Amino acid sequence: MSNGIKRRDFLKVVGVSGAGAGISGCATEEAEKLLPYVIPPDDITPGVATWYTTVCGECAAGCGVWARTREGRAVKLEGNPAHPTSKGALCQRGHASLQGLYNPDRYPGPMLREGGEFRSATWDEAEALLAERIQGAVGNVLLINGHTGPTLSGLFDSFVTGVGGSRVEHEALSEAPLREAARIAFGEDVLPHYALAEARLIVSFGADFLETWLSPVEYGKDFARATAVDGAGSKGRFVAVTPRLSLTGLNADEWLPIQPGAEAAVALAMAGHIVASGRGDAGPYAELLQDFTPDVAAELSGISAEAIEEVAEQFVSEGPSVAVGPGVAGQHRNATAANLATLILNSVAGNVGRTVHVQGGWTGQRARPYAEMQDAIQRMASGEVGVVMVHGANPAYTLPVASGFGDAFGRVPFKVSFASAPDETAALADLILPDLHYLESWGDSNPRSGIHAIQQPVMRPVTMFDGKQTGDVMLSLSKRLGRDLGSATFHEHLRAAWGELRSSEAGSPGPDGADDAWWRDVLRSGVLPDAGAATGTRDDDSSSPPLRSPDSALTFGLPEIDGDGLDFTLLVYPSSRLYDGRFANRPWLVELPDPVTKLAWHGWVEMHPEAADRLGLRNGDVVTVTSPHGSLEAPVYLYKGIRPEAVAISMGGGHTNMGRFADGQGVNPMVLLPAAVEQPSGAFVQVATGVTVEATGAWKRMATIEGSDDQLGRPIAPAVELAALSAVAGSAHAEDGSETEVHHDELQELNLGGGFVPVPTEGRPEDFPLPGSRYGGYEDALSGPRWAMAIDLDKCTGCSACVTACQAENNVPWVGEEMIAMGRTMGWIRLERYYETIDAKQAGPLDVRLLPMMCQHCGNAPCEPVCPVFAAYHTPEGINAQVYNRCVGTRYCANNCPYKVRVFNWYTYTDVPAPMNWQYNPDVTVREGGVMEKCTMCVQRVREAQNRAALEDSRPLADGEIVTACQQTCPAEAIVFGNIRDPESQVAQLVESERTYRVLDELINTQPGVSYLKKVTFHAVEGESH
Amino acid sequence: MATATETSARGAAPHPDVTSYSDVNRDILAILQRPGKGWWALFGLATAGVGLMFFSWGIQLVKGIGVAGISKPVGWGVYITTFVFWVGIAHSGTLVSAILFLFRAPWRQSIYRAAEAMTVFAVMTAGLFPLIHVGRPWLAYWLVPYPNARFLWPNFRSPLVWDVFAVTTYFTVSATFFYLGTIPDIAAAREAATGLRKKFYQFISLGWRGTDREWHHFGKAYIFLAALATPLVLSVHSVVSWDFAMGITPGWHATIFAPYFVAGAIFSGMAMVITLTVPLRKVFGLQAYLTTKHYDAMAKLILLTSMIVLYAYLTEFFMAWYSGEEIERTSFWDRLFGSYWWATWTMLVCNGIVPIMLWFKRVRHSIPALFVISIFINIGMWFERFVIIVVSQHHEFVPFAWGVYRPSMVEMGILIGSFAWFGFWFLIFCRLLPPVAIAELKEVLPAPMRRKEAVDHG
Repeated sequence: MSNGIKRRDFLKVVGVSGAGAGISGCATEEAEKLLPYVIPPDDITPGVATWYTTVCGECAAGCGVWARTREGRAVKLEGNPAHPTSKGALCQRGHASLQGLYNPDRYPGPMLREGGEFRSATWDEAEALLAERIQGAVGNVLLINGHTGPTLSGLFDSFVTGVGGSRVEHEALSEAPLREAARIAFGEDVLPHYALAEARLIVSFGADFLETWLSPVEYGKDFARATAVDGAGSKGRFVAVTPRLSLTGLNADEWLPIQPGAEAAVALAMAGHIVASGRGDAGPYAELLQDFTPDVAAELSGISAEAIEEVAEQFVSEGPSVAVGPGVAGQHRNATAANLATLILNSVAGNVGRTVHVQGGWTGQRARPYAEMQDAIQRMASGEVGVVMVHGANPAYTLPVASGFGDAFGRVPFKVSFASAPDETAALADLILPDLHYLESWGDSNPRSGIHAIQQPVMRPVTMFDGKQTGDVMLSLSKRLGRDLGSATFHEHLRAAWGELRSSEAGSPGPDGADDAWWRDVLRSGVLPDAGAATGTRDDDSSSPPLRSPDSALTFGLPEIDGDGLDFTLLVYPSSRLYDGRFANRPWLVELPDPVTKLAWHGWVEMHPEAADRLGLRNGDVVTVTSPHGSLEAPVYLYKGIRPEAVAISMGGGHTNMGRFADGQGVNPMVLLPAAVEQPSGAFVQVATGVTVEATGAWKRMATIEGSDDQLGRPIAPAVELAALSAVAGSAHAEDGSETEVHHDELQELNLGGGFVPVPTEGRPEDFPLPGSRYGGYEDALSGPRWAMAIDLDKCTGCSACVTACQAENNVPWVGEEMIAMGRTMGWIRLERYYETIDAKQAGPLDVRLLPMMCQHCGNAPCEPVCPVFAAYHTPEGINAQVYNRCVGTRYCANNCPYKVRVFNWYTYTDVPAPMNWQYNPDVTVREGGVMEKCTMCVQRVREAQNRAALEDSRPLADGEIVTACQQTCPAEAIVFGNIRDPESQVAQLVESERTYRVLDELINTQPGVSYLKKVTFHAVEGESH
Repeated sequence: MATATETSARGAAPHPDVTSYSDVNRDILAILQRPGKGWWALFGLATAGVGLMFFSWGIQLVKGIGVAGISKPVGWGVYITTFVFWVGIAHSGTLVSAILFLFRAPWRQSIYRAAEAMTVFAVMTAGLFPLIHVGRPWLAYWLVPYPNARFLWPNFRSPLVWDVFAVTTYFTVSATFFYLGTIPDIAAAREAATGLRKKFYQFISLGWRGTDREWHHFGKAYIFLAALATPLVLSVHSVVSWDFAMGITPGWHATIFAPYFVAGAIFSGMAMVITLTVPLRKVFGLQAYLTTKHYDAMAKLILLTSMIVLYAYLTEFFMAWYSGEEIERTSFWDRLFGSYWWATWTMLVCNGIVPIMLWFKRVRHSIPALFVISIFINIGMWFERFVIIVVSQHHEFVPFAWGVYRPSMVEMGILIGSFAWFGFWFLIFCRLLPPVAIAELKEVLPAPMRRKEAVDHG
């Protein structure tokens, strides 16, 4: 205490820590061994968070993660800024990893099937049994696995080779057609990497790069950088060429609503137009382009030839451009051709080497063909397989019934699953050897060539679950089988592998992994130290390989669809919340309103309102969707962003054996699909069948957070035309000061009279509290900081990562389908989505307004004066605070909140099944039933930073030192938080923008602390000159 | 207390069948006799309803406020609607007893006791609802300013705190006023009663003997309390209206609210008086005391307030249009043609259209017609509050946050139970205290020492 810590500051910190420790103490009731820190561990200071780097293992994108741990428990994940792809951001699925870690349905230990029922087994028993069965089936062992890190993958290979078995990789969302197309076009067996950030025109033929495609966080970031307006008034454009608008599509500036399957025709017509005008060379495909004139493409796609020519024109004139797609949601029977067509288009426009990088592309795991799996199914069905092991995949769910996986799997004499929590495949297994969650285990990732990141355990495995990481199981199994793979533990194995990696990256055999200091550095930064440099090589790679002629017959026309002549084409798309269904048992994600439909929990069928009219269907009418392969029932959601000839169903629902939150929720579109294989890539065909839709007569009150999608011209999410921005128009809009004169004299007069002081409508966030106003009682209120936020709606993509990040940070409960249907969502951030123009019948500008709505921290807050007990009050630092302990629950504040951002605890929602309570952030209290809550601007983070600065010689806080949870995770970097009184701060400078507005402020004079920057459109914005 | 000559001169109810003090004593005190089957049946029903209310409330206390249908954006639903409804009902009691007393309106004598009792019980009913409504009712006492070690006071800027003062003040004054006015009649009942009942009356009659001196003090106290209660008639419902008018919700935020609510309260209160006294009159044979003349006067008051209320409705719609404010306009358009159109039209028809019939003397003089109309008004006035509270909230500023509210079974149970709770007390009152003011009725009769002719010719 001699280094200048003031007594008061010390007490503050100790007080905070003590509270935190107390809370976490409460949460450990279920733990069996509860010991006080008699001798505290070196790296744990109670009340102070410890951060570990690791890599998100949820999907193949492998984003870098910082795990915040408190007293030995992971409580929050954040993006690792040092990671070259995700660069500090994280998606909603990444945040919800914590609910996988603390999932109450995880297997308590090895499970062995005996007489049809599972019973617990010891690891020794289970491994011995498995070793015995493998020994009895040498040569007939099959390993099915999902995405893994390269080291585990290598270990799998050596293991499988050792027992003479085979291995099949299966990821439900596979980009095999793209990989095949790249191989055909450029002779390289990779998935190209797209430099979206450098593009000025992005044309997507259906790739959902903001949601699930390749690396959504990185592409989300790049997309926002490309399409947000910059200081010079320049803004990249995005055109969506798809039959259905996904969230990615909703971010488009223009929509060409094509017929399902017409991607290739449109891409080729665009390329043909460019070649015809002499600005590009199609090489061996010149003849092909002759066949697809804009008129032919118009005929096939259902949009006008002029629209195609126009976008083709822009594709060369607005370069650098990039064409991506069609992605998983567009995988039809000609998917390879469609992917090839986009690559041809890119090549013709000279994008290869500029925005499309064939070198330094994505590693192939996410592009395994389904054909391999089909072959494995055949082998299992014919009884060739003696032992099958499944790791990180759930084919019993992600493959259609028609694939015959379930039956074939059932014929294998001994089936092993490494699932850490139940899934449909594990339910069929004979032995379950639960893997550890990625936050508990070692591993690595290599998403793109040259990028290597380490996955280290951030905490000891959750005590309730006796898991063992599969790498260790492989090693000990090998030992039991009499083959020593060299390492005692997977950790050792990994370290050795990284030692080799280091040597190979350095290009010399010099240093190796035994170097402790180097290893510590790796663990600290999370990535291979040179990884940043490695990606740098991408930029130097401007090589533009010439197009090669196809080595197999491809059809570029409309694909074949089963059940020809049925009313609708069925589009099955990956969910941005549930992915391929693997996240369906995570309440944060199930309850997260879908970014497009705003529905949570249950499943739905998207249908165009016109088509619904024809069938006499209303929103919420339950329909039977029947394909030649099966049928399902779900409520209809009327969606203007889909072609009237198509209906769409999201993947991810309809689980039967996934756990308490997943089972029985939603529908699985796989029951409708055939097990069709696309040629030549061998990919699974998603757009494969037509369906009929029939009303059942039932109606469902859908669980939505959406009241109306029309903002009725209210100044909630206004936009501004790019041409109207001063930087573009060339004339600086001189602010007309005469109108905004503040009548301070009048104010003063009123104040002296002791009367009510009206708040001038011209106030700015930093002005508050006004001298003499009713918030003027604080001594330090005018000298201290005024926390404020600025949100750039031109960047916001509506991805909803902020919603989940906030939920994780602030212990925001989930409430279930019934509560959501009643309107009782608890989210502190509501991602509002309004349609201005949307027309599924002709190509044209698309104007969707996305707005994250949270507490606006009004300077003149309507909620504060009406609270009878001062539970809603204003802090001297400008935060509109809510004192939970003081709240009686009159809900007057919520009534009086024009933004409707206050949420009420209708029940006590905090009794979550153990160990989900381990996730609770000890810095934030949990709230009991009957209490109002809302966004606090992460006040705990503000205090934490302030306390830290106070302990460090009372230094002043730097701008950007306090980062709110939503801001931290935002891939688009749309959210900025800071002290608006500091003119140097980023937020103070941002609100100077001419695009700045405050929601409804002009109408009700709330003087919000949250400023928004208007979305910028390319088309004229009607009636929104302000 | 009005004197006999004054009231006679102004045409006080002549009660042709009632000629002597003993007639009054006989008729009114007969009500207090052993109750019949009908009373027991009603009382049983009311008790069951009270049981339903406390059962429903119990569920809510144990499980959480979430068992009610209220949600976001409609955070105030049936509970606050019913609260305002009962506060409104509570109005006419004081109006009849205090204001009409001060203005010497003689027709009040027969009905004011029932109306005052109605007031007290209606406030007792209304007072439950804020407790039922809040999320943590066990902390509701924080709304009351009381000295505490934390130096925490309620927020005096909050209309809800004003509400606490307004409603508790109103309850205190109206209960005192009610009790004070009943003392001479309790004494009369005491004389006729026997046994335990006599003991009870002896205790609560505070030893009233009917001396000149006592009458003198009683008269003074009564007039003071009447004067004290009169402003409350205006203030309570004004304050209740400010719960809404001080809010910024479109449909709430209007300057017209205070007079609008006061008129509505009198309107609904008078209707409730009719609803209550018509059966009372029939069952207890009080036709001689509650004559068509009384009902005619009440009907006229209802007609007047109905017009004020209708005017207020039309003003609201007009102002929404005239303001040119899009959000306000949308809100009122939604009121008429949105999800809750049926509630709005019920309100308009019951409160604005049905009372038009009262322009006809025949209707005003038909007790059954009045009874039916009063029921319509009761329903209409409940829906008026529903429309103001619920319908305004469900379409506010941010369209994305619009939502629809559906009352739950628990809320309906408590709503029905609140009527039973009110009836429960009213039924007890009918049997325990003279429901018609004996002493005041006697004032308009000839004194027993005079000959009848003296009055007839006097």
